[in-house]
Amino acid sequence: MSRSYACIVSPNAKEDKEALVSVAHQFAYSIEVLDDGILFDVSGLEHLIGKRSLIARKILEELQKHNVPGSVAVAETIETATLLARQNDGVSNVGHSPDTFQKLPLSDLPIERDTLNVFTDLGLRRVEDLIEIPREELIGRYGREFEEIIDIAEQKGSAVLTPNVKESEASWSYILDSPVEDFEQLIFLLNHGFDDLFVRIAHIGLSTEQLDLSFELSNRTKRNYEIKTSFPTLERSFWLKLINLRVSLDPPEAGIKAVNVIAHFTKPRPSQTGLYAVSRPEPQSLLLTVNKLKKLVGEENVGVPVILDQRAAEAFALDAEAMPSGRESIESGPAQPIIAFSYFRPPVRAEVLVREGRLVFLRTRYFSGHVIEYSGVWRANSKWWENSWKTQEWDVEVEAQGVYRLCKAGHEWFLIGEYD
Amino acid sequence: MRNLSLVKPASQLKEEQRHIEEILLESVGIGFFRGSVAEISGGPSSGKASLTLSIIAKLTAVGEICAVVDSAGGFDPPSAVLAGVKLENLLWVNCAGDIEKAFTAADHLVQAKGFGAIWLNLNRLPASKLKLVPKTYWYRYRTRVKDTPTLVIATADEPVTGSASQSAFVFSRERTEWSGSGRFKLLREFHIAMHSSKQFYGRPIPARLKADYRHV
Repeated sequence: MSRSYACIVSPNAKEDKEALVSVAHQFAYSIEVLDDGILFDVSGLEHLIGKRSLIARKILEELQKHNVPGSVAVAETIETATLLARQNDGVSNVGHSPDTFQKLPLSDLPIERDTLNVFTDLGLRRVEDLIEIPREELIGRYGREFEEIIDIAEQKGSAVLTPNVKESEASWSYILDSPVEDFEQLIFLLNHGFDDLFVRIAHIGLSTEQLDLSFELSNRTKRNYEIKTSFPTLERSFWLKLINLRVSLDPPEAGIKAVNVIAHFTKPRPSQTGLYAVSRPEPQSLLLTVNKLKKLVGEENVGVPVILDQRAAEAFALDAEAMPSGRESIESGPAQPIIAFSYFRPPVRAEVLVREGRLVFLRTRYFSGHVIEYSGVWRANSKWWENSWKTQEWDVEVEAQGVYRLCKAGHEWFLIGEYD
Repeated sequence: MRNLSLVKPASQLKEEQRHIEEILLESVGIGFFRGSVAEISGGPSSGKASLTLSIIAKLTAVGEICAVVDSAGGFDPPSAVLAGVKLENLLWVNCAGDIEKAFTAADHLVQAKGFGAIWLNLNRLPASKLKLVPKTYWYRYRTRVKDTPTLVIATADEPVTGSASQSAFVFSRERTEWSGSGRFKLLREFHIAMHSSKQFYGRPIPARLKADYRHV
């Protein structure tokens, strides 16, 4: 079975690379990007489109749709297609019959300069002149390496197409007959789509850790969701749950008319387990649980606590973007348990009896009692240049109650927390 | 009578409940079994949070992932750091006083399996509200964590788990030590007593909690 290769040579090949690849993708999977164009295998398209000149014309039409200048050639060998396409550099033109190839100047073939000069002196200027000379004579004079050039001239080149365009994503889309308001109704559809999408990704030995989901809405707008995990996986049910949670947190404002999913490729995760490894939640399970919790209590209320490197009354925060890492540590904690502190949210308003500069009695809506012992006043302040804050605090032990942190703001007293 | 064969003797039930792995707090001499529900109750400043943080510190230091279901939103990360908790291995769920959400959050966490400890912090929540929570929640947690490495620790001002917990302690503060004199005093130590609710004739276990004024 004869093969067919198409070559597009463009004067702006580097700038128009994406467009060229896009055109090539419409005709072939096997694509090689060249310095001045693109080469691809169009074998078999004769049955769909017709003879090579028709294929070349079709490719040229696509090029024109993309507004890319260039010349196209389709031939049986890679060398022939490349040389023919380079003939019309910069001009939109379809090449070419096999006869055209024979009219090409010898300077287009990869012949050494000295040899080429000799051929010119002998009056050999075109490919057709060279193939008139017996093959053995040429090989006898210029060596066995010259056989390759003769093969090219006779359109029997043996170059092999080396695909160098790697896909980085795969997509799946579906257009609905009528808009759907509730995303959950589309889960079965996505399930079907993921089946197809993930099989394609697994087929090339890759995985994904990012899905871009986009909805076309009935109000003529688009809604995009970027769903990432910290690990690659092709587990369909996991992705469906994650997408469902994500979309339910921030649902589209109108009916969904079309769904498009793009999966970005990444290497699959090597799984390694150990007999002595510390037990942790599976990454999928942890991510799903965190998303469920975010749906339950709000995104800003679930995360990893972090200590802030700043002087503030409460120098800590909740990092809602972070996930627990499960990192081992060589530092060990204190041998003895320490007294922990817990905040009251909101602080508890208190009435404090002060006699001769000493705290004597404390009353709140929950309890009251004599102050047995206290320490303070502890004064702190910072950020006097903007959003200034200052505190006056005491640690107080209340009779038959607990040990609390008492704070004075203006003329009012508050219990801000408890030592527990 | 014929259904009696389905009734398991108490000794067998106890054996079934027992997970081989125990989390020991050597500093105070008590231990908690993985795959079970534990309860620490007690009045104000009785050391409930301190002891729980010690357990979480022990687990997070070896890379286990733990979770805090902070029902009232009072969790103080600097205290956790001082107790030795590795914050990067801790998941903090702030329920801002919503009891229903706190129990549902704990339910999601026990279902995830693989957490070292899940601390359901119900401290300072009104007992009247906690009594409205169906007891079945606790049995559900117990069933979910059975045969897993997870320890569910519930802390509250009063006992709440009933017979669903495998170990239950009531903490009380015996006395508070202050250093210094006059106006210059400093909170130093809590002397606490831990009574096991599951062993009626056991003696209370004493423990001391020290104040730590290091800057984190």
